[in-house]
Amino acid sequence: METSFAITGKGYVIVAADTTAARSIVKMKVDEDKIKTLSPHLLMAYSGEPGDTVQFAEYVERNIRLYQIRNLYPLRPSAAASWIRRSLAESLRSRKPYSVNLLVGGYDTATHTPHLYWVDYFGTMTEVPFGAHGYGSYFALSLLDRYHNPEASLEEGLATLRRAIDEVSKRLVVSPGTYKVKVVDKDGVREVEL
Amino acid sequence: MNSFAERFSTTTAASHMRNAQKLAEEDDEFDGTMWGSSAGFGSIAKGVPSFTVPAVADPTAFLRLHTDDHADPSCRIKIQHGTTTLAFRFQGGVIVAVDSRATAGSYIASGTVKKVIEINPYLLGTMAGGAADCQYWETYLGMHCRLHELRNRERISVSAASKYLSNLVYSYKGMGLSMGTMICGWDKTGPAVFYVDSDGTRLKGDLFSVGSGSTFAYGVLDQGYRWDLTDEEAQELGRRSIYAAGHRDAFSGNSCNLYHVKEDGWKFIGNYDISKLHYDGPGNVPGSDGRPYGYDIRVEGLSSTNAPEVAAAA
Amino acid sequence: MSIMEYNGGSVVAMVGKDCVAIASDLRLGNQALGISSNFQKIFPVTDRIYLGLPGLATDVTTLRERFRFRVNMYTIKEEREIEPETFAHLVSSTLYEHRFGPYFIEPVIAGISKTPSGGVKPFIAATDLIGCLNFAKDFVVAGTASSKLFGVAEGLWEPDLEPEDLFETISQTLLNAVDRDAYSGWGGIVHVITKDKVVTRTLKGRMD
Repeated sequence: METSFAITGKGYVIVAADTTAARSIVKMKVDEDKIKTLSPHLLMAYSGEPGDTVQFAEYVERNIRLYQIRNLYPLRPSAAASWIRRSLAESLRSRKPYSVNLLVGGYDTATHTPHLYWVDYFGTMTEVPFGAHGYGSYFALSLLDRYHNPEASLEEGLATLRRAIDEVSKRLVVSPGTYKVKVVDKDGVREVEL
Repeated sequence: MNSFAERFSTTTAASHMRNAQKLAEEDDEFDGTMWGSSAGFGSIAKGVPSFTVPAVADPTAFLRLHTDDHADPSCRIKIQHGTTTLAFRFQGGVIVAVDSRATAGSYIASGTVKKVIEINPYLLGTMAGGAADCQYWETYLGMHCRLHELRNRERISVSAASKYLSNLVYSYKGMGLSMGTMICGWDKTGPAVFYVDSDGTRLKGDLFSVGSGSTFAYGVLDQGYRWDLTDEEAQELGRRSIYAAGHRDAFSGNSCNLYHVKEDGWKFIGNYDISKLHYDGPGNVPGSDGRPYGYDIRVEGLSSTNAPEVAAAA
Repeated sequence: MSIMEYNGGSVVAMVGKDCVAIASDLRLGNQALGISSNFQKIFPVTDRIYLGLPGLATDVTTLRERFRFRVNMYTIKEEREIEPETFAHLVSSTLYEHRFGPYFIEPVIAGISKTPSGGVKPFIAATDLIGCLNFAKDFVVAGTASSKLFGVAEGLWEPDLEPEDLFETISQTLLNAVDRDAYSGWGGIVHVITKDKVVTRTLKGRMD
């Protein structure tokens, strides 16, 4: 089952998503990147209905880029998340809604604050210190309630993420094997090994 | 054709009910005088208690029609569902911890349910699924454990007790029993935990959690679990795990009941209000650092903002 | 599964003596799973009008944005602030525009209106999800705990409460009602509106 996590820490957001692309009972691909870099300081993990996910993510990616080209500055995380939410909410009442769940993580360079938004395919949005989508959330959220520290260093943050991923691997029947992990902080976006 | 065949078959649920009905009719002659003599558990001499059944062609389907609230939320009878229960074995015995919430749909019907059933001084059973099913059959199990003691001059093993329950509920399979229980205790082999459910599954293990909030409990429990936990650490872990489930799961909560089984039988450790655990912590109890469990309380005043040194100075 | 119960949440509003109060819980859930304990459902419309939007969370945000836009347009065109009665009709007609594909929200409006003689009059109202207005003289409730809120409010509310007493009444009503509802809770917030100020307090509620 698709699972994605994200946690904030001192000056960063870590976003992790599993890398399997499944169809029916078959794993079609085991190294799919399901985290898009929307702007120099913005990440988005997406999961949900196959087809919708990539279509919607690319639509968002292009529009965020367009904004940056037109205005010569990027959207801040809260503004970007609001725009993405509204796109989903409008899509919900269209003829063919996108079924995509998102974790939008960004670093606000103006206030030096990391922001993480939990967004579901209805267009429900809320800012959270840590979030998860998929069945993994039922194991990870209580664990993160216990272990998450908003002032954790990147190493501590990655160790906490490791805990969450290990727990899901241990307990979830159809747990994903591998994850891609990306970090956004003052220096921008980069991929990290867990 | 199918229903015609079923009426005369000897292996279907309906036939079980017919047999039960026959037993019930035989029981009638005792009714007046014998009432209460075996506390509603039927005649132990006969081996199996009997039940009255609705006078329809297929009593099982009839029951399902009026109780299955997943298919039909507006059904007449709502059976208690949400729960979090856990039990684990460790160096110092067995920890059993449960929540105390009972819900009917979204209505919180009670916050003071006893979900640990004290079968006898050495055996505990937990309650998830149908409250009445668990209460009735685990009490009934207690009676048979006592009979075993009288017959064999020794206490029943946890393994045998759980097997007895497992076989019993398996004989009612497909008739709508709903239970997910952990039979916990201490016998000749030491501490023991068995998971038994109404599908007929029976598992021996070190650590189990059952109910709608079980995933949340596992999240905390797995991370803190070791075989060589001290008694105090183990109690704290049980309490903390039930809190985690009570917090995140809408159908679990209100309070946590904690038991510890040791060589000399079980001991009730305490009842903890889950909201109090969130805001104040468990108080001055062994194993606790006295700090509140709640995330918001724990991280109050902390910030993820990472202002550069120069900006902070200016 | 009911769409009105998908995210959970409840709102209550009460009338006092020259004041009104509006309160809500702070839970955002995904059915049984709690996601956030800081999800606002009550929003200021003007200095004297507050709007509660319990129901499907996506529509909470969408309608909040929509009403902000419509009230701003009204203010610009009319060159004055909107009155609570007028705003209630704006809410009603906005919802009825979506009669055949509704927003899954049951709004609650609380405000203080001016009388022609220069006095003030407390105002509360609620609508169903397609905009049927209910002007109540005592209290209005909405959300997943509405049946429980009705019960407690019926027992606790009395006429002409002063702001401090109204705060106590609405807080007790909210906290005790959501404690009997699996989908509401995780803290609460109360706004008491009087003619010259609004007092906002967050409540420590049960967190299970």
